[in-house]
Amino acid sequence: MLRYTVRRLLGAVPLIIGISLISFLFMQLAPGGPDAMFARSGRMSDEQLAAIRRNMGLDQPVPVQYLHWLKNLLKGDLGTSYVQNRPVTTVILERLPSTLILVGAGLSIALVLALAFGVLAAVRQYSLFDHIVSAISFFGLAMPVFWFGLMLQLLFGVRLGWLPTAGMHATGETGLLDLLKHLALPAFTLAVGTIAGWSRYVRSSLLEVIHKDYIRTARAKGVRERTIFLRHALRNALIPFVTVVGIDIPLYAVGAVVTETVFAWPGMGRLFYDSLASRDYPVQMGILVLSSVAIILGNLIADLIYALLDPRITYD
Amino acid sequence: MGTATQPGIPAGEQSRVWSRRRFLTLIGATAAVSASGILAACGGGSNETSQTTPTASGDQPGGAATPGGSGGESVQGGTLTYVTNEEPDTLNPYLTQLVVGFDILSLFMESLLEADDTGQYGPRLAEAYEAAPDGLSYTFKLRTGVKWHDGSDFTAQDVIESYNMIMNPDFGAFNQQGWEQITEAETPDDHTVVFKLDRVFAPFIANVGGTYIAPASALTKGIQSFKEEFGRQPYGTGPYTFVEWVSGDHVTANANPDYWQGAPKLEQIVCKFVPNSNTIAVQLKSGEGDLAAYVDAQQYDTFVAMEDKRVIETDSQAWYHLDLKNIDFLMEKPVRQALDFATPKQEIIDKILKGHATISVADIAPISWAYNPNIEPRPYDLEQAKKLLDDAGWKPGPDGIRQKDGKRMQLELWGIAGDQQGQQILQVIAASWKQIGVQADLKFQDIRTLWGPEGYQFTETPTACGFSWFNGNDPDNTFYWHSSQIPDSPTGSGGNLPAYFNPYDMQDQIDELTERGVSTIDQEERKQIYWQIQELLHEYVPVIFIYWNKLIFVCPKNLQGFNPNAFTPLFYNVHEWAYSA
Repeated sequence: MLRYTVRRLLGAVPLIIGISLISFLFMQLAPGGPDAMFARSGRMSDEQLAAIRRNMGLDQPVPVQYLHWLKNLLKGDLGTSYVQNRPVTTVILERLPSTLILVGAGLSIALVLALAFGVLAAVRQYSLFDHIVSAISFFGLAMPVFWFGLMLQLLFGVRLGWLPTAGMHATGETGLLDLLKHLALPAFTLAVGTIAGWSRYVRSSLLEVIHKDYIRTARAKGVRERTIFLRHALRNALIPFVTVVGIDIPLYAVGAVVTETVFAWPGMGRLFYDSLASRDYPVQMGILVLSSVAIILGNLIADLIYALLDPRITYD
Repeated sequence: MGTATQPGIPAGEQSRVWSRRRFLTLIGATAAVSASGILAACGGGSNETSQTTPTASGDQPGGAATPGGSGGESVQGGTLTYVTNEEPDTLNPYLTQLVVGFDILSLFMESLLEADDTGQYGPRLAEAYEAAPDGLSYTFKLRTGVKWHDGSDFTAQDVIESYNMIMNPDFGAFNQQGWEQITEAETPDDHTVVFKLDRVFAPFIANVGGTYIAPASALTKGIQSFKEEFGRQPYGTGPYTFVEWVSGDHVTANANPDYWQGAPKLEQIVCKFVPNSNTIAVQLKSGEGDLAAYVDAQQYDTFVAMEDKRVIETDSQAWYHLDLKNIDFLMEKPVRQALDFATPKQEIIDKILKGHATISVADIAPISWAYNPNIEPRPYDLEQAKKLLDDAGWKPGPDGIRQKDGKRMQLELWGIAGDQQGQQILQVIAASWKQIGVQADLKFQDIRTLWGPEGYQFTETPTACGFSWFNGNDPDNTFYWHSSQIPDSPTGSGGNLPAYFNPYDMQDQIDELTERGVSTIDQEERKQIYWQIQELLHEYVPVIFIYWNKLIFVCPKNLQGFNPNAFTPLFYNVHEWAYSA
C-alpha cells in the first residue's frame, strides 16, 4: 500500500507539470492580456507601459516565462499577483481556510444526509418517502444556487431575522458561534445541490447490490437482515459512491464560486473568478496547480478507501 | 454598480481622484456658480432623492452645515458598514486602478488640495497655494501640526518622497499625470514645496493637488515594501486609521482621535465586500449593511422602498457613448450625423435607465464649469437621418440595407459581455438603425479582450462600441481626441482608438484646441476653448454621445453629513458624518 501510494504520488509529478504547461499556454492564447487595461487608461505613456510589462515579466518570450515560473514553483514560489502586487502564495493561503470551512461543512452535511436519504429511499423503494426524496432531489438538482441562496437570505435573514445574510463574521466578532451562524446558509446551500446528486447515487447503487446473488445467499443462510444490510449491501454499494465523492470534493475546493459570491464568503472560488476576470495569470496558475494537486490527492484517497471497503482490492 | 472599473466603464480618464482642481480658487472665481440651498431636499421623506446641483457654498470643510440627514442633534459613536461589490486590488494610492481603492483610501489618506461637494477646490493638507503668473511654478504652503498615523509630523519631505516614488520608473505608478510636468522640486522650508515646470500645464493643480500624499516613513523603506506592505496596511493623515484588511471580506477603519480637523464622530467604519448586487440589497434590508454606492439604476426602487434608508442621486462625470471606428463609410460626416439622428437617446434613458441619466451632446459634463449649455442634442428623427443618407448617395438595396458602389452599410455593434443594461441599449439602437437601412450586428465580449490588442478597434471592419468614459475633474480631454493619443500599435497606449486607421476629419482643429486648452491658464479663455471643442464634437460626431450616468447612493436615514458628489472620493468629508439622536 505504501509503495503504491509513493508510486502514485511520483506519477503525479509529470501530470502536474503537464497540466501547468497546458494551462500556461491556454492563458497565452487568450486574447487581451493583463496589461490591456493599462494601455487604455488615463494617459499612460508607452514608456510607463513598457516599465509595467518589464515589472510583470511580460517582455520575456513565453517559453522563458514558463520555465521561470516552473523554476520558482520548485522553490514554493508561485510568483507575484499582477493585481495585488503580493506573493501568490500569500494571496491563496489567506483564502484557503475559509474555503475549507465552507466546503468542509457543506459537504459533511451533504455526505450525512445523502447517505441517510439514499439508504432509506433504497430500503423503502417506491414508498412515499422514496417519492418525496426523489422529488426533493430533482428540485435540488434543478434549482439555481443564486436563486436558492437569495431565497434563504430573504427568509432567514430578512423575514425571520435569525441568521446573518452574508460574510463570514460580524464586525469585530471572531467567535465560533458567530462563524457557525454565518456558515449555516451558505453551507446548506452548497449541500442541497450535492445531496440531490449523491443521494440518487447511493440509492441506485444500493438497489443494485440488494438484488445481487450473495445477498440472497446471506439471507438463505439466515443472517440477520441488519447485518446483511450493513456488512454486505451498504459496504459494497459505497464503492462507486466513494469514487464520485473523491472526484467531487476536490472540485469544490476551488469550485464553490456561486455560493461564495451570493453569500460574500471570502473563499477561493471568488478569488479564482476575480483572477480570471482581471487576467491575473500568476494567481490563476497558482489555483490551477493547487486544484490539480487536490484532485489527484482526492482520487488517490478514494482508491485507497476502496481497499478498505473491498478486501478483493489490494495494491502492490 | 457602475463605476469606472465596472464592465461598462473602462477606467478611462482614471478616477475622479486624480483630477481635481480647476483654477477657480486660484483666480478668485469662487463664486463662479451661484449658491443654491445645499441639498435641502435631502432630509426626511421615504421617497426623497436629492440632486447635487452645481452649488458653491464657500463653506470650509468642517462647517456646521449638515447636508443630508434627518436633522436633530448628532451623536458620538456608532459603526457604519459600507457594502461594496468590489474589493480593492491594492490600497497603494499610486497603484490601485479601482475607484473602490480611491474611495477606501479617502478614509486614511489626504491630498494637498481637495474639491468640495461643488467641485470647487479648497485646501486640505496644503493650507494655501500659489501659481506663478507665468504658470511655470507652483508653491504649496503645507499645514503645520498635522501628524501621520504613526505619530511623525507631516512635512515637505513627505511630498517630495511621494513625487519621487510616483516618478520612479521601477515603481510603475499607474498615473503620473501632472507630476511628469515637474522639472524641479524645492523645499525652501519644512512646510513649503515649490514645483517648477518648463511649460504651462493647466490641469497641473487638478492632477497634483488631488493626489494622495504618502508618508516618507513608508516611502523610504523601498519600492518593494511600499508596494506590498503599504498596499495592504496603508496609513496617512486622514480621519480614520487602518485596522485590518481581511481578504475577500472587509476593511476596518477606526476614528483617529488626533485628526487635525477634530476627531470624527462615527467610531468605526467597515467596508464590506459583497460581490453580488442582490446580496447587497439584502444586507441593507436586514440591517447588516448601512451604506451602498454606485447602485444599479434597476435597483433604485428596491432601495427607495426601504423604510430606514435614504436614496441620493447625483450627477456623474461618466458618459456612455458609441465610438465609431473612423474607417470606410463611418468616415463620412453625414453618415455619422444620420446615425446620431437615428439613436433614440431619450427613449433609452426613459425605458432602460428608468430616467436615471441625462442626455449628452459632448464629453464635458453639465456639472462642469467648462460645459457648453448652448448645444441642443440632435432630436430622434428618422426622416432626417434617411435624408442625410440619401443625399450622401447611400440608397436602400433589395434587402432594405443601404448601399453605395456595391458596398453595404453594415457594421459590428460591440458591447461588454455581462453588461445587461448595455446589451439592452445596443439592441434598441440596432433596431432603430435598421429602420434607416443600416445593419448593425451585435457582438459581445469580455472587457479585457475588448480592450486588448485583439479587440474590435484593430480590425478593419466598420465597428461601433458602447461603453462609458469617466472624466477627470479638469476638462482637459486630450486623451480622447488628440492625435498623440492614437496608439501606434495594438499594444500601444492612448485613448483615441477610433482614429487608429485614419485621423478624424477635424483632427487638426481638435489637436490645436486641446493643446491650447491645457496651455492656457485663464479660466474664461479655457472655457471658450472647451465650448468650441464641444461644438466641434457635436458637429462632426466622432462618437455618438448618448447619456451621462447618474450615481445612486443609499444611506441610513439618520446619517448626517453624507453628501456625495461626482468630484470627490466617497469618504472625502467622513469626519463630518454622524448619526442623529
